[in-house]
Amino acid sequence: MSLWAQSIVSGLLSGGLYAMMSLGMSLSWGVLKIINLAHFSFILFSGYITYQLAFSYGWDPFLAIVVCVPVFALAGMALQWVFDKLRISEFESLLLTFGLFIIFESVTSAIWTADFRRMDTVQNPYQSQSVWLGDLALPVPQLAAFLVALVIALGTRYLMDRTDFGRAVRALSQDRDIARAFGIDPHRVAMQLAGLAAGFAAIAGVFVAMSRALFPGLAVEWFGIVFSVVILGGLGSTLGTLIAAAIVGVVGGIATVIGGPPLAPLAIFLVLIATLLFRPQGIMGRSAT
Amino acid sequence: MKRVIALVAVLAMVLVACGGGGGQATTAAPDTTAGPATTPAAEEPATTAETEGDGEAEAPSGDPIVIGSTLALTGPLAPTAAIHKVAGDLFVERLNAGGGLLGRPVEWRVLDDESVADQAAALYERLITEDQVDLIMGPYGTGAIAAAIQVAERYGYVYPQHTGSLTYAFGYECHFPSWPTGRYPNQTNPSLVYDALESTGNPPETIAFVINQFPGSMFVAYGNPDTGDPNDATGAKQIAEERGYEVVLDVQYPLDISDWGPIAAQVRDADPDFVYLGALGVDGPNLIAALDALNYRPAGMFMQWPAPGPVLGAGESAEGVLSVTAFESHPPFTDDPENAEIADAFREAATAAGIPYPEMETQASASWAAWQTLVQGVEGAGSLDHEQICDYLRNNTVRTIFGEYQYGTEENNYYGDLSYVKQVQDGDWWVVYPEEKAAPDRTLEYSPDN
Repeated sequence: MSLWAQSIVSGLLSGGLYAMMSLGMSLSWGVLKIINLAHFSFILFSGYITYQLAFSYGWDPFLAIVVCVPVFALAGMALQWVFDKLRISEFESLLLTFGLFIIFESVTSAIWTADFRRMDTVQNPYQSQSVWLGDLALPVPQLAAFLVALVIALGTRYLMDRTDFGRAVRALSQDRDIARAFGIDPHRVAMQLAGLAAGFAAIAGVFVAMSRALFPGLAVEWFGIVFSVVILGGLGSTLGTLIAAAIVGVVGGIATVIGGPPLAPLAIFLVLIATLLFRPQGIMGRSAT
Repeated sequence: MKRVIALVAVLAMVLVACGGGGGQATTAAPDTTAGPATTPAAEEPATTAETEGDGEAEAPSGDPIVIGSTLALTGPLAPTAAIHKVAGDLFVERLNAGGGLLGRPVEWRVLDDESVADQAAALYERLITEDQVDLIMGPYGTGAIAAAIQVAERYGYVYPQHTGSLTYAFGYECHFPSWPTGRYPNQTNPSLVYDALESTGNPPETIAFVINQFPGSMFVAYGNPDTGDPNDATGAKQIAEERGYEVVLDVQYPLDISDWGPIAAQVRDADPDFVYLGALGVDGPNLIAALDALNYRPAGMFMQWPAPGPVLGAGESAEGVLSVTAFESHPPFTDDPENAEIADAFREAATAAGIPYPEMETQASASWAAWQTLVQGVEGAGSLDHEQICDYLRNNTVRTIFGEYQYGTEENNYYGDLSYVKQVQDGDWWVVYPEEKAAPDRTLEYSPDN
């Protein structure tokens, strides 16, 4: 029983990290119609900056959020400005950001080399710490990522539902021209939302650095999980993203115990396919009809 | 119009970045390799041939001898390939400083195979047919090595390689591996580790296997019954059972595993005396961190091929971890002054290149040995004729950083298992078994009762 419970809890908390990585992507794709592969680069870059601040200056990894969020929020806004200027379509955004992704990977290699970078136990004491609930261990980095993802998902939901900015974003996602007719500046709103999404990526990067070793090719490993979570949750739905990430994490954890780790991706994609058969718009996505 | 411009810009960026059809892979990389060929180099010679000479070496002259290869400069294998890049650059630099090869300067043309085996094969085809390189050096990574060996065989090129662990798959007679595990690492490597544990007089009774699904680590762990060679049929798990260890867990995981929590929970649940981790890269520290989070630490753990630096980064939790090596930068390996000097030079070069763990160990020394093999083959043959180089290497003793050996032509040219057991003690790696190769005052520390 302990094995099952621990695996489920571990999967659930891993879902928090998946959610952190997916929230910005979901907003970008669902609202701005930008499939932003550079989002993965932002996560990785933020992770490296976290590592560097801890390695060079002895910063507590959590403190890196203070630096990374504004830096990458600005970077995200700048990128959105370029997207707006180029007036790129959804498909073109995939091409453009894929190019950026490759360039970022090369830049990462040039700065930090291709070798593994991992904070040691002095720089990152959290990696071996857990909060205990009876026999159940809740690893601190994953627990923190889960709680932050929960706060962000609920906060963003509130932002979207209850504020002028949220109403502007929703109007923008439904009809850009009509939104403009009502006095909404689509470029400004898009840049703000892109900054928000990139800020989420930055936070995800901090938690990634706290959880595992970094190397330039690491971001490729996230494609499957993140796109599964974003599609399963429903494009643009932050709460759906959180729920989907939790499902993906738990399903992966259970599948690992039943059939070993290789079964985990199979189980996750089966769940994705089964869900989309009944809800093509994802768990909390809005139907197109 | 703007859209068209944007699309063109995007495509150009993608093409440049990806190196498709003549981009990064074939333009950026040669700069970095041509550099060392002409850069004033270290004062001391490196190769056997160089050290045999007296006094100062004459500067090489004439057209450069071009040695082509690929490495995984990007992609998931890049962290380890970076070590081979540093070793190769340093070797060529010192080779040129010592008079070059056959009196001519040497240029190493290394292309990025992006950790993709098919890409490696295509690039070797290009190096041989279009660039018409004089010699080749193998890539990093078993997949790439297996793909490129077919190209080398097709064109009759001598094919030295440093890290091919799928030893049964490399039958080309002019293939010369320097990976020091011998032809049957599935037998010799685990036997060495179990012998070491049993030498303590208190070996484990239960054992857990946690194995990366990488072909090389799967082969060592389970063998491969389909090769037709009975020595290939079994691996670490079966040998453990034959020795009377009870296997209490056997779990395999994919290369790109993202969540170690459930595996750690399974290990804790099985509570083995010893964990045999068929690890690559940072699998080891990732599992250690996940086990730490569960407040669980097995009595002993072995890691097959870990990145050495990150393991040490796990701090106190990594104390006692075992692995195998063929060379470490401490006595008795550095008792030979030439080896000591090479280890120092590598440390300096790797530090300058930003490699986090800059010590010369298995990866770097295997790389070095492959280069030494190639150079001695050419010098022994006295020409760049591949048939003659191949004949020389098959019929003569070769001297490398690992010592003198003869390629075992009956065993796919592997020359025997030169592995030794190393252990993390006091925050660093030390060879602890067998006794004659152990670092001074170091012995294996293990007890299932810990």
